[in-house]
Amino acid sequence: MRPILPLFLAGAVVAGAATAEEFRWAGQTDPQTMDPHAVSSAPVLGFLNNIYDGLVRMSKDMTLEPSLAESWDPIGEGEGWRFILRQGVTFHDGATFDADDVLFAYERASDESSDVRSWFSPVKEFRVVDDYTVEIYTNAPNPLFPASIANWMMMDRGWAEANNAERPDKENGNYATLNANGTGAFMIEDRQPGLTTTLVPNPDWWDEAEHNITRATFTPIQNPATAVAALLSGDVDFVEPVPIQDAARLESTDGVEVIRGVETRSIMLGFSHEADTLKYGASAGAPNPFQDVRVREAVAKAINVDAILQTIWRGNAQPASQLVPPQLSGYSAANDARPAYDPDGARALLAEAGYGEGFGFGLMCPNDRYPNDEAVCQAIVAMLAQIGIDAELNAMPVSNYWPELRADNFDMYLIGWSPGGSLDHEHPLRFLASTPNEEKRLGSWNFGGYSNARLDELLPSILSEIDLAKRQALLDEVTSIYQSEVAYVPLYVQPLTWGVRDNIELTQRPDNFFILRWVTVN
Amino acid sequence: MLAFIIRRVGQSILVLLIVGLVAFSMFRFVGDPIDNMLGQERTMEDVERLRAQLGLDQPFPVQYYRFLEGAMQGNLGVSYRQGREVSEIILERAPATLELAAVSGILAIVFGIALGVFTAIRRNGVAAHVIMATSLIGVSLPTFLIGILLIYLFSVELGWLPSFGRGEVTRIGETWTTGFLTESGLKALILPSITLGLYQMTLIMRLVRSEMLEVLRQDYIRFARARGLKDRVVNFRHALKNTMVPVVTVIGLQLGAIIAFAIITETVFQWPGVGLLFINAIQFVDIPVMAAYLMLISVMFVGINLIVDILYVFIDPRLRIERTGGH
Repeated sequence: MRPILPLFLAGAVVAGAATAEEFRWAGQTDPQTMDPHAVSSAPVLGFLNNIYDGLVRMSKDMTLEPSLAESWDPIGEGEGWRFILRQGVTFHDGATFDADDVLFAYERASDESSDVRSWFSPVKEFRVVDDYTVEIYTNAPNPLFPASIANWMMMDRGWAEANNAERPDKENGNYATLNANGTGAFMIEDRQPGLTTTLVPNPDWWDEAEHNITRATFTPIQNPATAVAALLSGDVDFVEPVPIQDAARLESTDGVEVIRGVETRSIMLGFSHEADTLKYGASAGAPNPFQDVRVREAVAKAINVDAILQTIWRGNAQPASQLVPPQLSGYSAANDARPAYDPDGARALLAEAGYGEGFGFGLMCPNDRYPNDEAVCQAIVAMLAQIGIDAELNAMPVSNYWPELRADNFDMYLIGWSPGGSLDHEHPLRFLASTPNEEKRLGSWNFGGYSNARLDELLPSILSEIDLAKRQALLDEVTSIYQSEVAYVPLYVQPLTWGVRDNIELTQRPDNFFILRWVTVN
Repeated sequence: MLAFIIRRVGQSILVLLIVGLVAFSMFRFVGDPIDNMLGQERTMEDVERLRAQLGLDQPFPVQYYRFLEGAMQGNLGVSYRQGREVSEIILERAPATLELAAVSGILAIVFGIALGVFTAIRRNGVAAHVIMATSLIGVSLPTFLIGILLIYLFSVELGWLPSFGRGEVTRIGETWTTGFLTESGLKALILPSITLGLYQMTLIMRLVRSEMLEVLRQDYIRFARARGLKDRVVNFRHALKNTMVPVVTVIGLQLGAIIAFAIITETVFQWPGVGLLFINAIQFVDIPVMAAYLMLISVMFVGINLIVDILYVFIDPRLRIERTGGH
């Protein structure tokens, strides 16, 4: 990397030499806004990470590193966190970054109109100590707080006020929807929503540039076949994602490489825990067998995950045992094993539970949310038929799917979870495993209504425990609870497949964020 | 006459209103935009709040009424996905679709008529048989497949033409962008316009051919030949001219179809037009954009039909007499 910086500077002086480092890439989704507080979705936050900086940021291997904060320390016995800000940082428009901008970004991101305000629900008080020191006090000790705000991006108060964009407005949009003024490595040169977004390096960036890009153009290409063709023909240098069925062919093509990795998203089956009766299939109206843990365990044993990974994923995904993949913090190594494929054992369990004759029920499945989602569900239907239970598959587009799940219209369903924010095991525990509680903002994706008093009791301690060993012990206990109760049946961790021209060097981060400042064009 | 036009206009408005009503009653089945608009850390309270804010908790006739109310004042609403005025987005995207449609239309007309005449005159020649056989591809292969095949041949294998997009565009005036003025813009037009125009071209070609064969059998053509007129004069001045009446009618009606069916071509080539916008809107359940697009397309179709109807009355005096005679 070292020699690149002088080269890049030389290129900037000699006009014309710059065109060599133009970088064009394509993704499936256009970031719907340039406002870092308006939409909490991976395409938006991932893209804006190139333009805006946070106080802290994630490194190539997903460890926390300083960004606009040079350092941070806990206050007292865990009352909160003190951030020492970097000096001499300017926004793209030249304004100076200081504590008032952090306060503004806090006000803006924690406002009711913000989509990221849940990151600040543990915050009790925000204090500006001086121009380059801020203190954030939390309701309870919160060791994960710095990691959970890695995507909280800093915005200039003066710029936002001058352009009437003091608060995000996702319904009607405002100046910040189309324009950006961050402190990040790249600046927007041109933005045509849904068409192209052109970025140029920020010449005054506070950090040393690792990339050698002089201009980068992003185009959303929805149709995967077109995206692959664009990569093959050299019209773009990088596409994500590459459809799994095209990956092998791309790998054998000269000039193109496939980069594989695992994403942070686990795919699992959920059950209706609360409902008294089945809603679909041949046994609709009969008492709900999934209330019996033996039936849920039978389902877990009946699914041959290895076969799904071999046939549908062509060996590109890894099996999952928990709500998070092994590379994330808080993963319980002590509970690493997933139920073995054992159809005889599954049949025995069903017989023991009084369902030896089998039953019919409904399996809800999205068909455009996760790669291969419907194919996986079809395989599961066939595997469950082997132990005598007949799933009626009901696959639908995701726009119809979540409303159905919210309305409790399912007996069993497929769901994927990627822990945004903290990237820790506590995240799915809060959203998927905790008893639903609107007031405490818990269990909002726990559609089946799984509930375990001990798990609910341990969760607050997990969130506030500072001692990592003690915290892990709590997580181990909670993991063994939800595993032994078969609250969910974790299936596999979704893979990441990116396609690049072979003159490009880049870094694939497990959260599927594409970070432009790690790109080198050779 | 005036009464006839007023009645037709009234019927057209009624058709538009019904199209809108049907569209709004269908939107519920496309799904719920709320989950796409809120991140995964939303609460049920956020969901309900946003639903009420967007008026999605209202029954569909109310939603439709609100849309009409806005549309009457020229306000088509704000896109759920982009957070911008729908009218602004559509104006921005329209040039791409209109340019693509225009080039496809011209290609279809020029090549359709030329090949139609050729295959009619040389109807037993080898070339005519080859053209007729290959034209079956144009009618039978789905647009999607043709597009992908062209991309693989001309972009991936040969590397001559871009695989997607509109190339470099030049801005003209406030809202119009054109790809006609740059080399990359013109290159980018080639594959999508062939893909989009192929079906219409084969249609026109087959129509011209059969009409032409019909006309060539007529007595006046025989007499013309008997008079010793040159083939060129007979074929083009006498035969083709009389072939064109039904052809022009069909071309007029197909014009609307080219714009409306650009959706698939635009998706395959990532062509930044209104069709692609519509597809994105469906995926996101962006109701204001879907509603505006459907209304615009139906206005276009109803408008074309209205003009054709009125023109018929002018062209064919018998219709006029019948209409006025009814009083």
